[in-house]
Amino acid sequence: MAQHQVNYLKDGGLPVALTSIDKVVNWGRSNSLWALTYGLACCGIEMMASGASRYDFDRFGTIFRASPRQADVMIVAGTLTKKHAEFIRRLYDQMTEPKWVISMGSCANTGGMFNTYATVQGVDRVIPVDLYLPGCAPRPESLQYAVMMLQKKIRSEKAIKAQKPKRLM
Amino acid sequence: MRSYTPKDDVQKKSYYTDRYWVAPQVPKSDVSEDAVFAADHAELRAHFEILEAYIQRDQMVVYIHPKDNYAVLEFLRDHCGYTQLSELSAIDWIAQRGGFEVFYQMLSMTKRKRIRVKCFIGENEAINSVEKLFRSADWSEREMYDMFGIKVNNHPFLKRILMPDDWEGFPLRKTYPLQGDEFAAWYEVDRIFGKEARDIIGPEIRDAARVDRYDTERFARLGYEVPKGTPFDPNQPKTSLAYQEEGGVFLIEGFDEEKSTIISDRKR
Amino acid sequence: MQQTNRLRPFFENITFERDDNELVLNFGPQHPSAHGQLRLMLHLQQEQIVKAYPDIGYLHRGMEKMAENMIYNEFMPTTDRMDYIASSSNNYGFALAVERLIGLEVPRRAKVIRMLLLEINRLMSHLFWLATTALDVGAMTIFLFAFREREYLMDIIEDYCGARLTHAAIRIGGVPLDLPDNFIPDLKNFLDKLPQNIKDYEDLLDTNRIWLMRMENVGVIPTEMALSWGCSGPMLRASGVAWDIRKEEPYELYDEVEFAVPVSDKGDNFARYKLYMAEMRESAKILYQCIEKYEETVQNNQTELMAHAPQYISAPKLDIMTQNYSLMQHFVLVTQGMRPAVGEVYVATESPKGELGFFINSQGGPYPYRLKLRAPSFWHTGILTDLLPGHYIPDVVSIIGTTNIVFGEVDR
Repeated sequence: MAQHQVNYLKDGGLPVALTSIDKVVNWGRSNSLWALTYGLACCGIEMMASGASRYDFDRFGTIFRASPRQADVMIVAGTLTKKHAEFIRRLYDQMTEPKWVISMGSCANTGGMFNTYATVQGVDRVIPVDLYLPGCAPRPESLQYAVMMLQKKIRSEKAIKAQKPKRLM
Repeated sequence: MRSYTPKDDVQKKSYYTDRYWVAPQVPKSDVSEDAVFAADHAELRAHFEILEAYIQRDQMVVYIHPKDNYAVLEFLRDHCGYTQLSELSAIDWIAQRGGFEVFYQMLSMTKRKRIRVKCFIGENEAINSVEKLFRSADWSEREMYDMFGIKVNNHPFLKRILMPDDWEGFPLRKTYPLQGDEFAAWYEVDRIFGKEARDIIGPEIRDAARVDRYDTERFARLGYEVPKGTPFDPNQPKTSLAYQEEGGVFLIEGFDEEKSTIISDRKR
Repeated sequence: MQQTNRLRPFFENITFERDDNELVLNFGPQHPSAHGQLRLMLHLQQEQIVKAYPDIGYLHRGMEKMAENMIYNEFMPTTDRMDYIASSSNNYGFALAVERLIGLEVPRRAKVIRMLLLEINRLMSHLFWLATTALDVGAMTIFLFAFREREYLMDIIEDYCGARLTHAAIRIGGVPLDLPDNFIPDLKNFLDKLPQNIKDYEDLLDTNRIWLMRMENVGVIPTEMALSWGCSGPMLRASGVAWDIRKEEPYELYDEVEFAVPVSDKGDNFARYKLYMAEMRESAKILYQCIEKYEETVQNNQTELMAHAPQYISAPKLDIMTQNYSLMQHFVLVTQGMRPAVGEVYVATESPKGELGFFINSQGGPYPYRLKLRAPSFWHTGILTDLLPGHYIPDVVSIIGTTNIVFGEVDR
């Protein structure tokens, strides 16, 4: 058996870490971002691919949940149509605070190539968005980068923030 | 002076057409050239009035009276072997001829032939449903009603299928603009937040290339990581785009580019 | 402020509490196992479905309208987003329809490359189908396995056209590029492993009791129902009709390759599952033959990739860069678009889901006057109206799974 000798006074060996509440809470939040499966169109396939074997989203602590009540982040992956718009608002309202939204793909960002009567021109007309991910469809790597950027954003926030409404309404 | 745009067809038009240019025609051949089609045509003509029939690109096109559509399709299904209705829709000719052309695309699996049955109806006329013959017509006719506003008689459940129930206008008519009318533009805002929210949310931005560098609420500055709404500052230093947080993250080792290995064989 | 009462359920005329012991269950439109944005209104007696009303249109993006406002080449990337599991087959269907309209013959090498792409897409689509259906039924392992294989195929496609999902890899008149050097070895490498992979899936599923219980004798589609609802592709073949457009109305070089059309007369979920597995094997067979054909074209030095039709198709890049007339023609074709002759055409191809048809009405202008997309999934969703009654709630998910519907295609 290997001999373990811990020098508590060197190399941060003391099993005590001093930190602030903000950091601890945000550490927990940012590393267990449970995403709501919101695959609407093509980007949803890439979202599934990033959850599957090759890209393996689980190592980020991102696990897809089917219920908005268990989810922290809504990844809006795909075209939002006018017929669907009210449902996304309802599901967003059902998510518990704190909640974040990643708008994945051009269609969700701005309507993208579907500049037509049936498409909502950007999901931010309906729900507030924290992070826009460009691409049509974005690769799984980009989605992972987006989640990392969101984690960064979460870490820079106050853990307990005043519940003020976000930009939209 | 504003240039004149026709109101009966608001679809995109070519900006230039050579004035000596005459559009060629896809060749139409006589029905008698194909033995199978000729036999079908003869049988049909014995029972119904055929307005026009020809073969175009290996498929027979038959024009009939709209009142005959159910009987013709039934005849084709039961006597000529065209057992599948693969497609059913309409073409908008309101501007030119004041009506719609409804077409039924049919397939015979035994003869390996496809024919297209067409009929012309006026703008406010209704057509008989063929849902009793082919269940697939159930949804196709609903779609036709949804997109063109063509009424279908005897349909069990004629209701919008693709657009919401409370939608106004028929999207595939030539008079309907691609980007929607006033109703379409505010549909989701009206539905979710109410009309009074229109001012807050603002109109849709349809210009895909619009970027406003001074609008820091809606647009991020590329290469500058600043909070939303930070006023535009020309002297702002650029932010490094590598993923690294200041001072590191609690319990997580920072990514060091020097120490990392780049895998050259990705199938490893 | 947002008003809560505005977000009422959409079916306002439905009473959810009724006297006749019938429960109305709303399924979707954002259900994780609905394969997209399908909404089902299910009337239940206990756990049994009495009536089912599929509600679609939640992904209606107005593609047909877009087509009327676009030149023909411009519409090609939009077709990618129809059946986004197998983009190239949509590209191909559209390209073939326009080629038939203008009467164009594609060079042999382009045909072979197109067939390679089509069959790779079929494999990708079937693998994806297997993954998602198995996941919906509860088999997570199959999901991970099938996605692993799919990623290999995506790499191969990416080597060719640079995109994983939305390929736009086929042009009207041919294909834009020749195969990269490592394409054939990579593909062969994959195909050599594929039979073992399919066997792995089958070993896990074929005798799995849960899988059998949820698949066998569930969702039986009789032949008459399948024909009447306009089913096509695997849905039709699982119901006992041997109809494969590749075989019956051959396009490209499908009359030169040998492959079998698997048929089953059971019509249930399990039959469809076995059919997909068999089709994957047939696709692999076709791909091997296509590789041979490709190598033949290399030996015969048939290097042309685009048809020669200066009126419709731009000249090769070398000509555009060196010859004035080609450059002028290219400029006109890009800015104004090609103008096919006045006429109509309906072309059906066998996409992984079934009969994918494009109806084009051209009035001689650069924009199609009317373009109708005949997507197989539309009717495969419609059949749920007649198929679901009599089944139980858990069967709904497995039936939706095996119908293999993709909502980009249903709603267009």
